[in-house]
Amino acid sequence: MEREKKEPGKPDGGTTLTRREFLRDMGVAGGAVVLAGHFGVHGLAWAISGEPELKMVLVDYGKCTGCRTCEAACSSRNRPASVNGRELPGLGNPRFANIRVHRFNPDVDVPSVCAMCADTPCVKACPVKPDKKSGRRALYRDQATHTIHNDPARCLGCRSCAKACATQRTGVITPDSATGKPERMCTLCGGDPQCVRRCPFGALSYVEVRRDRKFYGQRAEKIAAELAKTWYGTVDLGGVK
Amino acid sequence: MSGTPGYYGQILDINLSTGKITKMAVPAEDLEKFVGGQGLGMKILWDRLKKPGVDALSPENPLIFMPGPFSGLPVPSSSRTCVVTKSSITSPIESDYHHASTVSYSNMGGFFGPEIRFAGYDGIVITGKAKELSYVVIDDAKVEIRDGKKFKGMRTDAFDKAILAELGDRRFKTVYIGPAAENLVPYASILHTAGRAAGRGGTGCVMGSKNLKAIAVKGSGQPGVADHQGFLAALEKARGALYKSAFAKSWAEQGTARAIVGNSNAGTETVRNYREGTFAEADKIGGDAARRDVWVKDIACYCCPLGCKKSGLTKGKYGGIVHDGPEYETGVMLGSNLLISDMPGLLKAITTIDDLGLDQISTGNVIGFLMEAYDRGLINRGFLDGIDLTWGNVDATLAMIEKIAAKEGVGALAAEGVRALSWHIGKGSEKFAIQVKGLELAAHNIQANQPRGLSYVTASRGACHMSGDNIAMQNRRAMMDSTGMCFFPTFEPALEEPMLALLSAITGRKYDKAEFEKTGERIFNLEKLFNYREGFRRADDQLPDRFFEDAFSIGPKKGAVLDRNKFDSMLTQYYTDRGWDPETTQPGSAKLKELGLEAISRAI
Ligand code: SF4
Ligand code: SF4
Ligand code: SF4
Ligand code: SF4
Repeated sequence: MEREKKEPGKPDGGTTLTRREFLRDMGVAGGAVVLAGHFGVHGLAWAISGEPELKMVLVDYGKCTGCRTCEAACSSRNRPASVNGRELPGLGNPRFANIRVHRFNPDVDVPSVCAMCADTPCVKACPVKPDKKSGRRALYRDQATHTIHNDPARCLGCRSCAKACATQRTGVITPDSATGKPERMCTLCGGDPQCVRRCPFGALSYVEVRRDRKFYGQRAEKIAAELAKTWYGTVDLGGVK
Repeated sequence: MSGTPGYYGQILDINLSTGKITKMAVPAEDLEKFVGGQGLGMKILWDRLKKPGVDALSPENPLIFMPGPFSGLPVPSSSRTCVVTKSSITSPIESDYHHASTVSYSNMGGFFGPEIRFAGYDGIVITGKAKELSYVVIDDAKVEIRDGKKFKGMRTDAFDKAILAELGDRRFKTVYIGPAAENLVPYASILHTAGRAAGRGGTGCVMGSKNLKAIAVKGSGQPGVADHQGFLAALEKARGALYKSAFAKSWAEQGTARAIVGNSNAGTETVRNYREGTFAEADKIGGDAARRDVWVKDIACYCCPLGCKKSGLTKGKYGGIVHDGPEYETGVMLGSNLLISDMPGLLKAITTIDDLGLDQISTGNVIGFLMEAYDRGLINRGFLDGIDLTWGNVDATLAMIEKIAAKEGVGALAAEGVRALSWHIGKGSEKFAIQVKGLELAAHNIQANQPRGLSYVTASRGACHMSGDNIAMQNRRAMMDSTGMCFFPTFEPALEEPMLALLSAITGRKYDKAEFEKTGERIFNLEKLFNYREGFRRADDQLPDRFFEDAFSIGPKKGAVLDRNKFDSMLTQYYTDRGWDPETTQPGSAKLKELGLEAISRAI
């Protein structure tokens, strides 16, 4: 279809091989060296490492229209509104969503969501001593789902995690303005990601991803600049933070 | 939160003269009778302007930004904001009042309306006039009027970026004006996201007259609903109706641009200043061509599964432009209407008009008129300040657009609109000055489409193609534009029932089809009362002579022309069916009583 041709960015499209496919292709191509050149050493390391599969929300930027239905769906579940003290699941202000759709001018929309980094710089930045029994700091990764969680009872509200995420990765962590405690880490909605389910344009999928893929763990601004350059031949996004 | 479910029950009221900022309570009765959007905006306008003849550009004229009860909820396509004010461009043939004009309403998509509701308001009313160019920043309950002098004259695309850089937070949703509105061009527009506009009827001009460059809003709240479970169930159905809709899919493909070829084939397109209904080169500027040559990406408004806005990139002489378009209205008014079939040139014109903050429709109409007058030798090149404004000439069109926005030379005349321009030129040019009540007609031509002619002459804001081709449609649209939901998805018939169920669940009032239309009828009649009070009568509901004299000379509808007697008797029937006096068009007391407007109408 014509439409396919019009998505030159398609950064995520062809790179979402599962580990099995990757290893299979490696066999077909006749060796790791060839593929290492093609996919980068990190991908190779990942493929042959014993690291568990990582399933997360993946964005096809070429398909995203910036409609923010994903934000509304996420808030509705993860941060339902309270009206007159009554919680209303299914209703929530999109700004509190764990996925944030960054809009730019010229038209580029970049949904940004926690990358579930293997090395969790956010967790490493947390100054709270690991709990003797669980080994967890005030910020920790769930080993089964890879999602990042906060233990509000032990959290100091120091914002170190947010700073680490912002300077090194996506910057999704937004400290609560009053308490400073981290928010907006994707929960995967208990295995049924609402953003993926509700996206009207099929721009989101819940799949196994490779950590070396293009744009993985990057800030929205950086991704937008590259998409704008690919799509429109411009990098001027107005210098907006 | 007010006592009325689904609403906050408060409007943010900003007086730019005094700097006073208040939260005005909205009577529950008004919410019930006028809903939101266009309707509630109209009621506020009526309450504020207690007498006819108030100058639209005076500080008293309120500029009203209205979301609706759907806004701020995850309802599909609940993206609209209706801007209501008194028109800066219309006027009656005769009136006792010097500054008589109609109401004006202009509806835009995007993210602004929902954000107003997140911030805790059912609408924003701006009155007064700031001493210097200013802008307003609304962050929940915190509201500030800030100095905007440094933005003076800034075009809208640059401003869209500059204001967010200034605010340092991209989550602000903004509306703003360009140089055309600062220069008080009567058909200046208000822009949002640099490519969406409340274009028609001079909303931008009114904003400019208040020295208001922009409004930025962001909010952390959430409007509630009357029946939570009912709302969720209806929401599921509404999403189901649209996500699976074949119509929605096809709409997403080309948006309104599909009609550029379709209407040309049907003989209902605006071509060559309304002289023809068919454009031989329509396929060069239509949806297929755009998809092939310029569109890079589909863009959607808040929670909308249609995504009819397109982001285009041009190549060649006018290369490097990134902008929405062509849509049907923009593509036809600047394309077939001017016999421009060069896609990059067309996109350049559309982009420039938005960048300067002009209404696409009025601007295209005015330039088409000038091209015809020049072609006929009624004006010469000197009149046009040396611009060789021939049919299809892109560079001349671009030069004229700049002149209009700057009100420079011939641009100062052209800026007053096609009617004033024809009065100035004379020589019988009124016959092809295509306007009603002073507002320019849009991209739907009518020699072969009499019902659309009805929409143009009876619409409350002057020649409006969206008003509706018959009474039922007019009532439904007035109501639709009062809800905050976009009109386009309602082309999917499966949406109607869940949409009514949603509205009922949100407001706690039972809406069926009849009640929906009845409320729209009330709104439409209030607009009529306003216009009637200003002095608009049946003689103002008149089409230019062209439609009765110049039969199409090409296309499938060759020979089509309107019949004056038929059109007149259709109008008589219309007023009678509306319950209005067919001679004066005054709404009858029986109708007003039926609609609960008798107390209001006593003011006349
Ligand atoms: S719902 Fe889908 S298309 Fe809409 S903003 Fe989110 S990812 Fe983009
Ligand atoms: S994206 Fe940020 S929050 Fe998520 S794991 Fe990486 S550093 Fe932590
Ligand atoms: S804010 Fe809380 S979770 Fe984050 S680094 Fe500080 S103590 Fe750890
Ligand atoms: S998976 Fe769930 S928590 Fe994560 S971004 Fe999507 S909706 Fe939000």
